[in-house]
Amino acid sequence: MNENMTHYDTIIIGAGVVGSSIAYHLSEKTSNILVIDRHFPGAGTSGATQAWVWVHTKQPNWYAEFSMYSAEMYPILKKKLVDIEYVRTGGIAPIFDEDKLAKARELVKGQQEKGIEIHLLSKEEALAKEPYLSDQIIAATYSPLDGNVNPMRLNQAYIQAARRRKVTFSFYNPVTQIQRRGRQFVIQTEKETYTAGQLVLAAGTWTPLLAQHLGVQVPVRPVRGQILITEPAPRFLKHTVSGVRQTVNGEVLIGYSKEEAGFAKDTTWDIIGETARFGIKIIPALRRLRLVRAFAGLRAMPRDGLPIIGPVQGVPGLFLAVMHSGVTLSPIAGMLMSEILAGEAPSFPLEPFRLERFHE
Amino acid sequence: MNCGWNRFADEFTIICRCEEVTRGEIETAISQGACTPDDIKRITRCGMGPCQSKTCRMPVMAIIAEFTGRPLSQVASPKARFPLFPVHLEVLATMPNRQNAEVIDILLHAIDNREQTGE
Repeated sequence: MNENMTHYDTIIIGAGVVGSSIAYHLSEKTSNILVIDRHFPGAGTSGATQAWVWVHTKQPNWYAEFSMYSAEMYPILKKKLVDIEYVRTGGIAPIFDEDKLAKARELVKGQQEKGIEIHLLSKEEALAKEPYLSDQIIAATYSPLDGNVNPMRLNQAYIQAARRRKVTFSFYNPVTQIQRRGRQFVIQTEKETYTAGQLVLAAGTWTPLLAQHLGVQVPVRPVRGQILITEPAPRFLKHTVSGVRQTVNGEVLIGYSKEEAGFAKDTTWDIIGETARFGIKIIPALRRLRLVRAFAGLRAMPRDGLPIIGPVQGVPGLFLAVMHSGVTLSPIAGMLMSEILAGEAPSFPLEPFRLERFHE
Repeated sequence: MNCGWNRFADEFTIICRCEEVTRGEIETAISQGACTPDDIKRITRCGMGPCQSKTCRMPVMAIIAEFTGRPLSQVASPKARFPLFPVHLEVLATMPNRQNAEVIDILLHAIDNREQTGE
């Protein structure tokens, strides 16, 4: 390899909401940053999501607390970035069965102990808040912290803000080889070869393929979700209801399916039908709305469901930022990663998010 | 063929009628690195409306061809998604579930998880 290699202090692979948030936050502290993506932002998981900013019901409770800190960053981001259509609607999770009520009470108690504002609503209280909920519910959990955002706008807003601070982005540029040479990483791509002192892998469910070049195993797999989108309707849903939300544009997004289907991004008859029944069960008025499209996305799911954020032991300069719930967590993941990349102490302990927990 | 599609369109001409996206907005998206109709859709909502790009797909592909200097035959088509035309949800709800595929209730899922982790 005698070709000219461009050097960057930090290279981030993956320009989804997580990678671009890291670039944006890091650009407030340091310079000379490159972000590489094999495709275009939004082509992967960041563009195939309901994009809830969701806190309550997350388990374990300390993880809900972590999600809350990230959700609390959204009102600030909304001021700092271009319009990302973030709305703090409050979130409602309806309960249909008596035997789940006692367990929901425990959940509410556990989350309140962590300082999360969450309430158990009676049927009447829930229907007063959200009149279009099914009258078959018997109760619901509610938190004012929950909301949603336009994920494509969020992704673009991070990128635009980072570009204004001189971060370089290279799209449609798949990485073909990563090597460690001395104190540097040599990253070969289809367009160019780069060197970097620090390398961040933020490629979601595709991260394990990149980490393999450096002999690092990352236990993350794709978990497919299928989502239905209706025609736009006048605003009738006030809240983000677990499984159903209405966009600023008026369309309703429905779905919370989980399938082990490898990297296949197809939609299927079974899940489309089941999702329609699920939506109508929770919000009966959806019956008369029309579906305009169905799509599937791949969650990046670590083996224990919790994020992997931080340095990799044994490979100095290598960092991972891979997680499910990248939309909810992208603000705090970007902030924490920017702190450690700039050599600062992280403002939230990263101990629970270490890669090494899987080997212990 | 390329110039035929766009000869009468200036930057204010609406290309996507459903979402009212102009030629100017599409060109801006291309200048930011968008290469396909799906890339442009994610930035501008072009082709995201009720017709699902059945009206604007060719004009958009022609603008990409013109801008990038590629022949139209080498410009990607937008991904076609189910359904071909809008269908009421109550109709979809009658489809059988042959594989017992599951859509998960998020709260019950959280409760099950809690029982597993024992927190």
